[in-house]
Amino acid sequence: MRVLIVEDDPLIGDAVRRGLTGGGFAADLVGTTDAARSALHAETFDLVICDIGLPKEDGLQLVRSLRKQGTSIPVLILTARDGLADRVDALDIGADDYLTKPFQIPELLARARALIRRSNAVTSSDLTLGSLRLELAHKRATVADQALDLTHREWSILECLMLSAGRIVSKDRLMSAISGWDEEITPNAIEVYVSRLRNKLGDAAQVRAVRGMGYRIDEPTDRGG
Amino acid sequence: MNPRTEAVDEETAPSIRGRLLVLLLLPAIAILTLGTLTDYLTSGAPFRDAYDQALLDSALAIADHVRRDADGNPLLVLPPEALSLLRKDKYDSIYFKVTTRDGRYVAGDRDLPDLARHSATTSRGNAHYRDEPIRLVSYTPKNGSGSVTITVGETLRKRDRVRATILSTSLAVDLGEFGVILAMILLGVRIAMNPLHEVEAQIEKRSPKDLSALSVTTVPVEIRSVVQTLNRLFATVRATSEAQRRFIESAAHQLRTPLTGICAQLELMSNEERDSALRQRLLAVLDGARHLTRTTQQLLTLARSEEAAHLHWERVAVDLPRLVEEVVTERLASADIAGIDLGAQIEPATVQGVEWLLAEALGNLVNNAIAYTPRGGIVTVDCGQKDGMPYLRVTDTGVGIPPAERARVMERFFRASNTLGTGSGLGLAIVHEVAQLHRARMSIDEGPGGKGVSIEILFPTSVSVAPGASATNA
Repeated sequence: MRVLIVEDDPLIGDAVRRGLTGGGFAADLVGTTDAARSALHAETFDLVICDIGLPKEDGLQLVRSLRKQGTSIPVLILTARDGLADRVDALDIGADDYLTKPFQIPELLARARALIRRSNAVTSSDLTLGSLRLELAHKRATVADQALDLTHREWSILECLMLSAGRIVSKDRLMSAISGWDEEITPNAIEVYVSRLRNKLGDAAQVRAVRGMGYRIDEPTDRGG
Repeated sequence: MNPRTEAVDEETAPSIRGRLLVLLLLPAIAILTLGTLTDYLTSGAPFRDAYDQALLDSALAIADHVRRDADGNPLLVLPPEALSLLRKDKYDSIYFKVTTRDGRYVAGDRDLPDLARHSATTSRGNAHYRDEPIRLVSYTPKNGSGSVTITVGETLRKRDRVRATILSTSLAVDLGEFGVILAMILLGVRIAMNPLHEVEAQIEKRSPKDLSALSVTTVPVEIRSVVQTLNRLFATVRATSEAQRRFIESAAHQLRTPLTGICAQLELMSNEERDSALRQRLLAVLDGARHLTRTTQQLLTLARSEEAAHLHWERVAVDLPRLVEEVVTERLASADIAGIDLGAQIEPATVQGVEWLLAEALGNLVNNAIAYTPRGGIVTVDCGQKDGMPYLRVTDTGVGIPPAERARVMERFFRASNTLGTGSGLGLAIVHEVAQLHRARMSIDEGPGGKGVSIEILFPTSVSVAPGASATNA
């Protein structure tokens, strides 16, 4: 998977490039929006990571022109922590996510993976997380090409978690995702389904409970997290 | 403004209201006094003439009764009834005397004073008779009875009475007029001063931190330039704040960017380093760099929260559950590393606030809780409402804060005596400042079972933000 980094600060740019390379991505670094445009024109990328504060033209301008051209490539914006207006602007313009400086490399990798996963799901209707793969069209889940035997409700919960991989999904949302199958779903029932799902997934993925908030699916901690 | 003008102003104008009153009242009093005096003086002449005329009539009547005896000497022939009628008056004593032209007594009151002799037929004047001032009128017929002069006099009681009546009446009327004018001037001055008082009140009720311009449209023309000068001053102060804000923002960028790069590079280097001794050193440097980054961020947050208090930062409806979710999600990784069970307990609540400052405050509370709670501990972030008052609360099972130090930990750079590690002592100061900015109360208590700390930010009662309703409560 190939990522274009648009960042004018050499120290940050280099760290992001190295971090991404270490995380299994192919990464290219440019320092201006013009250079980014020619790179995007010449090559195919799966993700753009773009700083807002760039010389000559800011990163939001690049996102705006990309979206104007109808390009749907996912964009992760890097912003200053207190630039709330920038963040709102970025999402309004069509950026897919933002990360505030200072950030940590593992967080950046997790966001990058999640964005690529989401955009792949749209284009190929497949969701992957490490060795776990969901074929949405066929409602089929595999781990290392071995099919998992899931009930309807387990599938629905897994799909719901995978669509927001790396983020917390509330119990309410999981309940509404499976309520089509059963009218009387209690929060306790969700715990039971999640526990069964964990057993079936084994080491392929980690479903962790966040007390009071919900569940989050991640790659196993020994890989890039 | 030159100092001379100032000195003069201080001397002569302690109060515009006082000046107006003096300047209006003194002429009013003078004019009224003059009016009373004129009334009194001019009303004297007509009634004096009328009474004199009455005396003259008596003299004429007496003249009709002057005859001449055989020797040609004048002689008054007047029946006693007529005489008593002539002398009869309700208030005054009436005297008369008939003399020849050369002063020889003919009839009447012999010692009644004579008027100075004029060539005129009639003359009048004042004199003194029987210990009383009197008025005298004399008549000297030109022909007929010939060489006699009839002098008629009367005391002044009647005239004094009339004079007193006229004086008291005009005094009463003029005093009444004066009262009305005084009332009108007092009322007028008061009404005229109203716009000034309004401007004064407008300035007085402003928060000292309010730097917005005063409205000029409702201000009287006379002090418009004063208000405009004030507004220019406000604008200057605003511009200074704005310049400070830009400075802080640029400083934020200048500091944050290299620190982000340094931290990221150190992180990667420590991951890649196989030599464990070197790796430990890199991790220690990374720790220092992160601490520096955090402190920089906290200082900037403090500076900007002060500025947020000065300038009117736009407050929006902040959904506390969403805020908690965001902050907890961001801190999950560090909680995992520290072996802390980070969780939440979320009930719906909304506050009007500056979102990033609230996020920063809550983030600081969670960071603190994670930092001061031993491995295996529990950190819970709550939000919800108590009696209609929204709250945010972070509870941990950590080392706690000694009760005596709970007030002081909200001060900048104060660190509780039982803390280890590399805190900046700014975290809770930021939380406190952000709470104050939102008129919220920050309280520090023990956690459940007397362990750890529970820190709560209790916001003032807010109008629940229903769809379409606008919450004005800040």
